[in-house]
Amino acid sequence: MQVLQGEATEGANVSEGNGSTRLTIAEFAARSASRADEYHRYNIETVETKDIQPLPNRFIVKVAKVGLAKFLLKETLQYWGKWDVIMSRPCTYGVFSGPVGGFNPRPKLCVGCLRCTVQHPDFTTITPNPARAALGDDYVTHLHISAIDEEARKGSIPVRGQGYRGKFGGPGWEGMFTDMSEIVRPSRDGIHGRELIGTSVDLGSKPMSLEFDDSGVLTEEGPQMVTIQVPFIFDAPPASVATPKLHRIYTKTAADIDTLVALPADVVRSEGLASREVVPIIPLTSVATVAGFGNGTRIIELDGWDASLYLEATTTAPHLLIGVRMSFADGWQQQLLEVQAAGVPIIHLVADHHGLGKDGGFVMDTLREAHMLLVEAGVRDTVTLLGSGGVIAADHLPKAIICGLDAVALDLPLLFALQARARGDLSDREDTPIRVPRRLSEQWGTNRLTNLSASWRDQLLEILGAMGIREVRRLRGEMGRGMWQTDLEAEAFAGIEGFPGGGA
Amino acid sequence: MTVTKPSETLEHKVTNLLHDGFNARAFGEYRLPEALGDSRWTDELIVSTWHMAETGKVPPDLNYKTGKSNGGFDRLEFKFLDEAEWLEHSDALDTTMDLNRRGDERDKLSCDLPFYGGGMSYGSVSLNVMMARAQNSAKWNTYMSTGEGGYPEQLLEYKDHVITQVATGYFGVEEKYIQSTPIVEFKYAQGAKPGLGGHLLAAKAGEEVAKLRGSVAHVSLFSPFPFHSTYSVEDHSKHIDWIQTVNPDALISVKVSTPHDVDMVAVGSYYAGAHIIHLDGSYGGTGAAPELAKKVIATPIELALPKVHDFLIKEGVRDKVTLIASGGVRTADDVAKAIALGADGCVLGTTDLVGIGCTRCANCEGGPSGRGCPFGITTTDVELQEYMQQDWGAQRLDNLYTALQWRLREILRKLGLSSTKELVGRRDLLRYIGGDS
Repeated sequence: MQVLQGEATEGANVSEGNGSTRLTIAEFAARSASRADEYHRYNIETVETKDIQPLPNRFIVKVAKVGLAKFLLKETLQYWGKWDVIMSRPCTYGVFSGPVGGFNPRPKLCVGCLRCTVQHPDFTTITPNPARAALGDDYVTHLHISAIDEEARKGSIPVRGQGYRGKFGGPGWEGMFTDMSEIVRPSRDGIHGRELIGTSVDLGSKPMSLEFDDSGVLTEEGPQMVTIQVPFIFDAPPASVATPKLHRIYTKTAADIDTLVALPADVVRSEGLASREVVPIIPLTSVATVAGFGNGTRIIELDGWDASLYLEATTTAPHLLIGVRMSFADGWQQQLLEVQAAGVPIIHLVADHHGLGKDGGFVMDTLREAHMLLVEAGVRDTVTLLGSGGVIAADHLPKAIICGLDAVALDLPLLFALQARARGDLSDREDTPIRVPRRLSEQWGTNRLTNLSASWRDQLLEILGAMGIREVRRLRGEMGRGMWQTDLEAEAFAGIEGFPGGGA
Repeated sequence: MTVTKPSETLEHKVTNLLHDGFNARAFGEYRLPEALGDSRWTDELIVSTWHMAETGKVPPDLNYKTGKSNGGFDRLEFKFLDEAEWLEHSDALDTTMDLNRRGDERDKLSCDLPFYGGGMSYGSVSLNVMMARAQNSAKWNTYMSTGEGGYPEQLLEYKDHVITQVATGYFGVEEKYIQSTPIVEFKYAQGAKPGLGGHLLAAKAGEEVAKLRGSVAHVSLFSPFPFHSTYSVEDHSKHIDWIQTVNPDALISVKVSTPHDVDMVAVGSYYAGAHIIHLDGSYGGTGAAPELAKKVIATPIELALPKVHDFLIKEGVRDKVTLIASGGVRTADDVAKAIALGADGCVLGTTDLVGIGCTRCANCEGGPSGRGCPFGITTTDVELQEYMQQDWGAQRLDNLYTALQWRLREILRKLGLSSTKELVGRRDLLRYIGGDS
């Protein structure tokens, strides 16, 4: 903190700490310029990172060779000498521009524009590739996987023309929309002001009030917080795919973008990963080891709740923020309040990969309930809520924050960014039927996760920009910024015959 | 790769092949392409739109009414009367829409259809597309909007049917084009990218496009969001005063998105002096937009309309303003349902483009080729734009509008109504039906 005193024309007294220095205006300007140069606006640098295990082509291209040969013969005779006409192809994307043209089309280049099937319906067909549609499961669809793949490859926001192509709203996150501000907005900077929107969040506990002694001095130390630059961390990969290389990719990316990665404590120890970015997950049976990580470790998570063991952990490692992972099992609401009352600064709510708790609730609903329980108890700011499970698309991130999370712990999207292949039901967090490519390099993996992070952050900025919100912290639990299909339909279609609860 | 204007022979060959292909598809000579369509615009809906554009008639054996989106318009149907009570199908069934209901001194405009063409800027679409739409608008005594990209001189031929859009980047906004137009449309927001402004990619900002926008070629052009001169309804009123000074006869349309408080926005726009309040829902859009924005930000038009209609009634001003719906309005049935939900009429965008050959492949932003639409629609590529010629496009749109009007009259007569005006806000004539899940 520096304080400027005195007349600008004569110079200035600059106080720093306990000292005070008289600077001329020129000196002051030089110092200011130097500090401005040091200022770094947060940004995630991306680099296009090609596939190592491309997804199956979107389309299958079939050309009837006899039909094509007849057409070419006819054209050659009809347009003899007009080579621009004879050599023209019905595809601007190069599907028929290989050495033998349509006799050996290149389906990986097909984007499904269908011009060839309009122009030559008698010998050209384009069909969706069933192998592509088979990716994922009934929650994580091939569309999610394709989007993540593009985001991790390019690091940009997926853009398409001609409107929305999906179902009208739908179950889960699909039935939630986000609000926007039509005219009045705080930034006034619109599309050019996104870089001014803050996406950092604080993890830890904030006091609900400050207390001072008679002399006006704070009676307690300030809150112990860890700030990360994006409202998401990386959650541990399922044990079924975990490898040291994968852990290093997660850790390196987390360090690069200034966030955190949660990893099993035994992995952190055996692979020497302890660092300021890594959050060891400690089984309740190993609480005695909480203090043993070092190397800048700031946060640990206990994998479950036991009041006495938590107390033991805080006593053993008072310098650490100690969080608790808890699932949405029956009675989780009571446990949440109990954990908060015990003073736990970070509660990590864990659903399965489909966003379902053991009680069957979906995270969009359970997160809102968790947030509101804490709000109604008047203690929301004393605890940070993290959440895992069910967040598999960029729009789920702001939606989960609106529903009450401070930050999301990403799981499956990280694996799909690394072009993992899945077979079967992905809901189980530990035994997930998914395989990560063997030949991925650490640099490639880091680039892909960085790109995904940049893309999701940019899409978060789109949402925040549209709302006119300057920092993501203000979005937490702002349920008025969400609009739910069920509510909107009840209002719009009330009285219409056949609408549930509607007219006769 | 150097791209040049196609030779006359090449243009002739490609356009003939495309025209024959659309014709063959429209008449069902081949199976529906498996890769065509999606939940909102199904394969049947696209091919039936081609059929209408080809013939001027609705297809006998394709679903030309609804998609399979499992919600909104697709879960609403009309409660038609018993057949004995149906009116005769006749040209006397009124499909006109009044655009100035304020009772002020400005032009008393109306159009012959309860819909007009939405804004698509020069750059996002070719000049041929703009001209075809303008030509058809003149024929049908309706309108089309320039979008935000300036007003190509060629459009002056149809100036009485061209809406000049003023948007946040003020690209191509000139006095003479405000003076030339019967309606000025202020675009505060658009459904496809609500709250995000606009973005014409560098690849599509060619020499002519840039010139019209007062920019340099091959540089991305951003429209900021929002208007940096508008903080309030009062500021909006100043906008309208400005237009009135330049063109005292022009009607004012205000295009907004569908946020939570869309009802308040609509009423505020009315009190600021708007003649037309244009609500643009989130599922539509013709140009390139972030997938996230179309899907997530703001609400589908079906969910916003009743709220706005009801609120305007409550404020006692519903009969003083024309309420227009857009954003995912695809068919005559959608138009009629939007009217029953509270609109006076609709704006069509994608429907026009499908009519002139769009397959909704979604590569409008350029796709991997960077050249834009391979059918010559959403592109200014010197070769590709020649494959969609004005007269062919205008004829297709004429045919399409003929079929849409026929279907609107079919709906009216089966409801026992003689005018689309009688349908406004008649939610009691709708039935909510089960979806596919």
